[in-house]
Amino acid sequence: MASNSSPMDFDPSSPDIPPSSPIPNTVSTPGRRRRRQSTTPSAYGTPQGNRSRLASSDATPTPSRHRRGGGIPSGRRVPATPTSTSDDVPMSSEGGDGYDMDDAGPTYVWGTNISVEDVNDAIQRFLKHFREKSTSQGGIDDLDTEGKYEKLIKQVIELEGESIDVDARDVFDHDPDLYTKMVRYPLEVLAIFDMVLMNMVTRMKPMFEKHVQARIFNLKTSTSMRNLNPSDVERMISMKGMIIRSSSIIPEIREAIFRCLVCGYCSDPVLVERGRIAEPTVCLREECQSRNSMTLVHNRCKFTDKQIVRLQETPDEIPEGGTPHTVSLLMHDKLVDTGKPGDRVEVTGIYRAMSVRVGPTQRTVKSLFKTYIDCLHIKKTSKSRMLVEDAMEADNGQGRSAEEVIFSEEKVAQLKELSKQPDIYERLTKSLAPNIWELDDVKKGLLCQLFGGNALKLATGASFRGDINVLLVGDPGTSKSQLLQYIHKLSPRGIYTSGRGSSAVGLTAYVAKDPETGETVLESGALVLSDRGICCIDEFDKMSDNARSMLHEVMEQQTVSIAKAGIIASLNARTSVLACANPSGSRYNPRLSVIDNIHLPPTLLSRFDLIYLLLDKADEQTDRRLAKHIVSLHFKDHETMEQDVLDISTLTDYVSYARKHIHPQLSDEAADELITGYVKIRGRGKFTGSSKKVITATPRQIESLLRLSEALARIRFSEWVEKHDVLEAFRLLEVAMQQSAMDIKTGTIDMDLITTGVSASERIRRENLIQDTRNIIMEKMQIGGRSMRLLEILEELKNQSPGNEIHLNDLRNAVSTLASEGFLSTAGDSVKRT
Amino acid sequence: MVGPQYDLLANPLGVIRSTFDTAISTGSDPTSLNGRDWGAIDHFRHFLSDQSQLSQVPLLTAATIKYVKPNTLVRFRGMIQDMLGNEFYVGTFKDGSVWRTNKFTDFAQYPIPVGSSVHTRIWERRLLYCVPIPGLSPWAESTPETVADVSMDCTSDQREKRRRGDDESSDMHVENDEVVEGSPNTKRMREGERPSPASQSQGAVPETAGSCTNLIPGLNGNSSNCIVKIYDTPESELRLNDIFEFVGILTSDLELQDDSEDRDLLNEFSEDPLHHFPPNKVQVPRLHCLIHRKLSILDFLQNKPIIEPKPDMVKSIRESLLKHLSTVLGNDDVAAHFMLLHLLSKVQARVDAIAVGKFSVNFTCFSKEIASIFGKQLNHSVKNLVPFTHCIPLTVEYLNTASLAPKKNYDKNRLETGVLQLAEGSHLIVDETQLEAGTLNSVGVENASLLKNLMEMQRVDYDFRFYKMEMATDVQLLVLSEGKSNILPADVIVPIRPSATNCSEAVPAETLEAWRWYLGTVRQLPHCMESGMEKMVEGDLVEAIQADRSLSIQDFSRWLTMGRLMSLSYGETSMSLEHWQMAKELERLRRERLK
Repeated sequence: MASNSSPMDFDPSSPDIPPSSPIPNTVSTPGRRRRRQSTTPSAYGTPQGNRSRLASSDATPTPSRHRRGGGIPSGRRVPATPTSTSDDVPMSSEGGDGYDMDDAGPTYVWGTNISVEDVNDAIQRFLKHFREKSTSQGGIDDLDTEGKYEKLIKQVIELEGESIDVDARDVFDHDPDLYTKMVRYPLEVLAIFDMVLMNMVTRMKPMFEKHVQARIFNLKTSTSMRNLNPSDVERMISMKGMIIRSSSIIPEIREAIFRCLVCGYCSDPVLVERGRIAEPTVCLREECQSRNSMTLVHNRCKFTDKQIVRLQETPDEIPEGGTPHTVSLLMHDKLVDTGKPGDRVEVTGIYRAMSVRVGPTQRTVKSLFKTYIDCLHIKKTSKSRMLVEDAMEADNGQGRSAEEVIFSEEKVAQLKELSKQPDIYERLTKSLAPNIWELDDVKKGLLCQLFGGNALKLATGASFRGDINVLLVGDPGTSKSQLLQYIHKLSPRGIYTSGRGSSAVGLTAYVAKDPETGETVLESGALVLSDRGICCIDEFDKMSDNARSMLHEVMEQQTVSIAKAGIIASLNARTSVLACANPSGSRYNPRLSVIDNIHLPPTLLSRFDLIYLLLDKADEQTDRRLAKHIVSLHFKDHETMEQDVLDISTLTDYVSYARKHIHPQLSDEAADELITGYVKIRGRGKFTGSSKKVITATPRQIESLLRLSEALARIRFSEWVEKHDVLEAFRLLEVAMQQSAMDIKTGTIDMDLITTGVSASERIRRENLIQDTRNIIMEKMQIGGRSMRLLEILEELKNQSPGNEIHLNDLRNAVSTLASEGFLSTAGDSVKRT
Repeated sequence: MVGPQYDLLANPLGVIRSTFDTAISTGSDPTSLNGRDWGAIDHFRHFLSDQSQLSQVPLLTAATIKYVKPNTLVRFRGMIQDMLGNEFYVGTFKDGSVWRTNKFTDFAQYPIPVGSSVHTRIWERRLLYCVPIPGLSPWAESTPETVADVSMDCTSDQREKRRRGDDESSDMHVENDEVVEGSPNTKRMREGERPSPASQSQGAVPETAGSCTNLIPGLNGNSSNCIVKIYDTPESELRLNDIFEFVGILTSDLELQDDSEDRDLLNEFSEDPLHHFPPNKVQVPRLHCLIHRKLSILDFLQNKPIIEPKPDMVKSIRESLLKHLSTVLGNDDVAAHFMLLHLLSKVQARVDAIAVGKFSVNFTCFSKEIASIFGKQLNHSVKNLVPFTHCIPLTVEYLNTASLAPKKNYDKNRLETGVLQLAEGSHLIVDETQLEAGTLNSVGVENASLLKNLMEMQRVDYDFRFYKMEMATDVQLLVLSEGKSNILPADVIVPIRPSATNCSEAVPAETLEAWRWYLGTVRQLPHCMESGMEKMVEGDLVEAIQADRSLSIQDFSRWLTMGRLMSLSYGETSMSLEHWQMAKELERLRRERLK
């Protein structure tokens, strides 16, 4: 290929270390560069990029354009670079003076409508005058402020860097025509770009020795790997993908030096030509001229790094029934090893095709082409499926660094349009697991969990989580697991685990020995991995107590602290927990409290904002709907059904946009409502007797309410939490609490059920029992007198109050309480007064 | 258009070239053609629309590959196992003043002028890696007689030579060339093989077709895989694991492989998938596809009875098949009914994670003795009825070692197939009777969950190392176990009650054929339910759930699937009350057994 596209020899070897990269530029090779410069006389001090990007391949015929035909046409052919290149033999004579700005008449790149002068000027204008929108508002002609790229160039000079990153969108904003040309004829335009850049650099710092290159990124359109076709060849493209394999680093020879074995004469550097080095057969020294005596001097040759990287489509781009496509990337010098297998990257480069020769000596080429992308810029993108709010923590200063905005403007407009619909809340609810029928309130709760509240960090260091934890408890076969699966699919990132198979360390973090190095390393568990996501835990009740106890910290403090094997660390685990549990007796027993039904410690239970009971109630209405649902599942055309529902990708986008961009604040009105509502709920606990103090809400609930109302505001893309958000939050909480915190004996909500596992009425009952027992013992026994059997006391109690049902167990508890008071002592089943 | 002088079978490339020339001369612009068809395909389509002509095209199989000549028309039936992406090639170029095309070939017939990008156009084609359909029953394999006919004329002398070549080395084309030409210089030989421009008058029959000596070199009998190059087809038409019949031009690019000297130059891009195929020099044949056709089960019947499914006939076939199944299962009628429904099931729709219509069956009470008698019989008869079958003997060792899921090998850039890469409509028997207590390693756990996923959702996770890709499948799963299988939660559990141990009687071939036809046809029938019936069924379900709160959505789903399959088994396209009652009765009988 070298023979063909050679007029441009922009040097891909310079580093591509974006300014934001934390890697220090330690690999600079001034020595080598200097040497190169000295060997190649160049009028402009540009180091000779004497290697075309494709030094080792054959011609690339392009689908519709041609740089070189049978003869040189009338339009003057322009060597795009000032340096003469060894590659392009017939043209090289012209190369030296091509970069003369005073050249009369327009010069066109052959076969294109690119006028070198125009492009040159355009680039110059762009570099000099481009200002970011925010700064340019003062006036475009305001030349006092420095342009963005002039500043960058200065930075590069100071840092002795070798490239500057040029945002293609800036180019487009400034000069759409230039952008089009650049994308269409990247080889030519980039060469001119580099030239202009070098020109500017030398003007700013005449002694600057490095070759500064432009690295274009952030093209307006991103191509999908699947859609690459012959018309993309030789165009600038950008695409996303995942690196699956990178070759070892290949040293590629650029200049070879030969030495005569007979006389020791060293040849001039021989340059790579069409991928090969012409080894002199005869010693060039006139006195010697011995044949076949020249040998390569390895350590005087110049090599550059090259690497072939294989890029594969990301899973989301693969259509159903297809396998992922792959494409090769060619990386040079500083781009080498910038990505490792498994990284998701966005690559900007030039799509090239290389023909395959039948043999090294034959000129016939096969009809096949190998395609690859000549990499210009590579950017790692985040691995998460959905972008999550990282704005607070993104290393500010760098501005948009790792996580770029992925939403295009139209998409945002579309989402905003969607959010304006009055029934958006209902629509989203309906779109959430549309095939799980009913359970609207549960879905609303889950929706709130997806959107989440605002996390708050006070100056004092206290932090309040924004994540909403949800627990689903219910009978088997109420599609809890399906809901979980669905949320897992939708959530920004998250782990799905089953309680039975999870251990404490598996959930949090564990220390492992690296098999290769023998070092101890910290491996993240499910909760840490789902940081800023949702951790779905199925079969929560089957989890070992040990594992469950680890959740206490995670669910309120949102960190995981470990101290073992010399590693003491606190890892972030800002995750919402969505758990589901089966009642202990396989079916929910409505006569028992939640705590008794699921054997979960109240301390843990209280950390769930919403606890839903999914009970299989005998209700003809719901049964009928269920039947209808199933029948239609089997016999209806699914294409036509449920068009009203948002598809999962829109939903994901909607959620991620809201999470990232909407941070609602509490309006005064809403705050008032929150306060009065809370007081009202607390007040409800006092309605029966004065002695009975039922706690219907705790401060934890107020936090939950806040989070829920914030999530509800987010659903509407509203920056303010309104009164109706708060009301809906109250409703949601009440629905959840009514189910789970209902005191069965009295029918009121009792938070004590959740916080302590014992309802107030139960507590009163127990106290009464203790009192009764005490009375009986006082009556029947003397201190130090004879002992009494428990059954006798039970008998006595029953006689006293025939209405109450008293179990032996209750009595045992009462007796042990009395024993701890020192009122009596027990030995087996007999009680003795002390 | 093309006159009859072109032999489409023996010299398809001639036809392609001449149609191309015609197209160019009638004003098509080769530069704007962009790889689109210029009328050649129509020619072949027309030619092959006749069934008798199609059967003239030799079928490429492991057995016939020795006799098929390169650059002739062949057929290949297989499953798309992997997709190798797109390939760019010089589609058309100007040779002097004449435009030539490279479509449907690997090599330019004429040298492409180097570097003349003005006069070359790059087109693209897709590469598919196809394998013979996994688990293809012997009866479904096409008989190779047609091929034998075609290649008869040149096999007699060839065979002897072949055999010798086979024995010696896989590099037999060298051997062969030497035998024929006596020239030690293979390289020159190959050059010679490529017809020189001088001898190429328009549409002339290539030399290869003239003699029998130039059979595809390097191919040996055990490589029955095939790389199919697809032109002019939208991507969505061909999907992974689909079964297709491809008709196209067979080539082998030994030369592409043979340039080892060229490697140093190419090695940097040698991730090229094709480079990794030959373990040594075994070639995978390439097929430049002209026409492809998706195959249904019916296409695998030997003599296709083209009959409308008449109710009474369907009914009689159903009865006889049921009787046969009952015999196989030791006169257990209930189990036979379930077996029949099972064989008719297919995934009809997917709603989120739910695959509607699947009907996996778990026959329990298969103690070791019973398994030894009936397991084999069952396996045998399923093989006889269904075109693609597979049997997994589930043992701890198997789970720990087998590679069930296809796995991407990035070193070779190939998808390595796994046991669960099955074509749509395959039947899979999992024999759990051999399972004993043991410890699963990580592979075993992975495999067990794969099987569970397949069972529950009809999905297989393909392992792409950095991520898993879910592939929807449609596999009929039959589990044989002693107790209820816990690893594989099937849709329906049927305790088997054999009352007799009849040896399976020999079934006449026509009957078997009728059964196969029945299963293949009935399964494809569309199905609906009338609204009156719908109401009725809904009412039944509500009644049932009120009587028994323990019924779940899964139970209802199963009932409806059973009802649908029951009516399908009678060839009906809408469910009637009678069939619904039958399904319910069947379910009642089953439940009684479970007690």
